[in-house]
Order: sequence, then structure tokens, then C-alpha cells
Amino acid sequence: MTQTPQPEGGPDHGALIQAIAGQQDRQAFAVLFGHFAPRVKAWMLRSGVNPTAAEELAQETMLSVWRKAHLFDPARAGASTWIFTVARNLRIDALRRERHPSDLMPDPTEEPDAPAQADRIVAMSQQEVRIRSALSLLPPDQADVIRKAFFEDKVHAEIEKELGIPLGTVKSRLRLAMTRLRAALGDLA
Amino acid sequence: MIVHHPSEATLAAYAAGTLPEALALVAATHLGHCAVCRTTLSTLEATGGALLEDLPPVSLSIDALDRLIGQMDRPAPPPPPVLNPDLPAPLNRVPLGRWWTIGAGVRYRPLRSNGAAWGGLVLAKPGRSLPRHGHAGRELTCVLSGAFADQDGTFAAGDLSEPDVDHDQPPMVIGAQACLCIIASEGMRLRGLLGLAQRMIGR
Repeated sequence: MTQTPQPEGGPDHGALIQAIAGQQDRQAFAVLFGHFAPRVKAWMLRSGVNPTAAEELAQETMLSVWRKAHLFDPARAGASTWIFTVARNLRIDALRRERHPSDLMPDPTEEPDAPAQADRIVAMSQQEVRIRSALSLLPPDQADVIRKAFFEDKVHAEIEKELGIPLGTVKSRLRLAMTRLRAALGDLA
Repeated sequence: MIVHHPSEATLAAYAAGTLPEALALVAATHLGHCAVCRTTLSTLEATGGALLEDLPPVSLSIDALDRLIGQMDRPAPPPPPVLNPDLPAPLNRVPLGRWWTIGAGVRYRPLRSNGAAWGGLVLAKPGRSLPRHGHAGRELTCVLSGAFADQDGTFAAGDLSEPDVDHDQPPMVIGAQACLCIIASEGMRLRGLLGLAQRMIGR
């Protein structure tokens, strides 16, 4: 298997997900669980889910990671990004009884793409690293709008009310933030 | 060639999972056509991943992992079946109501979706106008086939209309082909005949 760079020297989470897909590697799962379950629980708590439900959603997320590991494509998304989308979809279902359209998309394993290129996989794990550093450098007002969008189950009209700024300002801060994140990705986007 | 795209705010809400289901389905239909927006979405989802990664962890109960072990051998539930093979993903797996005639040359087929927004397919013959709601909340329209025109320009297959301001003139179907769109709105009431149909259908 292709060696991918390890973000910040930790274990390569993408390789662990692939080990689950390939060999039902329970050791790999335990490492992923230890890293991601407490973060998913933290995210759920911030979105206003009660502690019992947050714990259950963190477990369900990891159970989906185990069952859907074969759908993880390191050429499309890094490990944290993929686990974020799995958790997001379960959260919508739990909070609002709604389904995210990505759960209705055809199984990518049913329509095989061209084999993943090693440099594409490297690019995706690099993307997460670069976005993390770009996020830490965003001006506070832009970072605030991004965090609110992701951490709270709120539509933009509610963010507008809460921050006391017009919807146009929410939108333009998001646009500015996106421009910076894209610039940080440069050739990787 | 896609000309009209959703706003970054709409794509961010889609990535974060806060866009109501009907609106998210319209956005997803556009994403299926548009590589540019798929790239923006992947940046936004990676942002979600980065934020998740940076959160201070909150411990689970000690036996949380052990309690999962018993469930790990059960297979994942299968994806929902294809209900509408003539529509593109993800609309092909969404339950739809029946077609309603809501005016001369205009038909409407409601989406059976949950959440704060509602929507459906609209099929309008050449020269007819598409329904549009009064100014209340977000409204998204994505063209599946045919074309329409309004103050913002011409919209063909894959184009997404996200009007910022209330338009005086309704969008008109142009060209020789009927126009099939997926629309969704947070607005309380539609204008005109679709508004009447909406009240009759009960959504």
C-alpha cells in the first residue's frame, strides 16, 4: 500500500480505516474509536444534543465507520473529513428526522472510478492539515461565522439574529473565509 | 455549461447539515451537475473535518467501545431503494407524490420530505411561467431539463437559481422543450395557482 504522510506525526487514520475495510482490523478500529469518538461526542454536545444522546451518536458514528469503511475513498476525502460527514448525517437524522442527500447517493463501490492515484491521496490528507492551519489564521469575525455554521444546528437567519448582523454580512464573511481557505489549499483544491 | 451556482452560505449550510432537507435535495441535484461546486463542497467538508479534529475531546463511558463490539458483526442497513429511475441521484431515491395540474401547461409533483422546507418537481410547457413564492425565506430551483429565463438570466440543465431579492416577474420557460425543475422553499405561501395547489395538497 502507498505510504501517505502522517499529519502531525500521529497514526495515519486513513490507513486505519482501510485496514478495517480490508481485514476487519479490530485493533485499527479501537485506535480510531479512541481518537474520534470523544471528538464526535464533543461536537454533538456543542450542537445542543443532550449528553446521553451525544454519547449514543458518537457510538453510532463509529459503528457506521466500521460498517461503511469500504466506502471510504482516501482520494476523495481525508479521514477526519469522512468521519465528519458520517457524524453529520446521523446528527441530522437524530435531531430533525431528516436525511442528508449524500445518504441517497449511489454506493461509490458500485461504480468503480479510475484507481486512486497516490498523489491524490497525499493531497487529500494534506488538505486537512492546510485547512486546520488556515482556520487558525482567519480573522475572528470570519472564524466565528464558520464555527457557528458547523457547531450549531442553526440556519443562517438564526446566526444573523444571534450575531446581530445582517444576513448579507453573514454571507459575505463566509465568502471571505472561503476565499482564504481556498487560497490555503492552492493547488490541492 | 453551468452558469448559475448556489451561494457559499447555502453550500456551507449543506456541508454543515443545517440546510432543510427539501432545499438540500435541490442543492444536491445541482452538485451532481457541477464540478466547481463539488470542489467548494469538498473544501467545506474538509473544514468540518478540521474543526472536528481540533475539538477538545469529551470522554465516553469506560465501556463505550465494549458495548459496540456486539453490534459490529451486523451488516449496515441497505441504502434506500430507487423509486424514480427516470430522475438523477439523489432524487431517484426520494418518495414523491402524484402529479397535480396547477394551471394551464404547469404540473407539480410534491416531494415527501421532512423538515422546515417543502418542495417538488415542476413541469411547465414552453411559454408558461414557473411558480415563485412571496419573499419569505430561502428558495432554490434547479433545472433538470429544458430552460427558463428571469431577471438573473437564462437557466438550463444543472443551473441553480437562488434569488436574493423578490422578483416582480415570474420565470418564463424558453425554447421549444418543456422545462422540468426541482424547487424548494422555506416560504410560507406560494403565489398564484401553485399556492392554491399547495393548500389543497396540504403542504
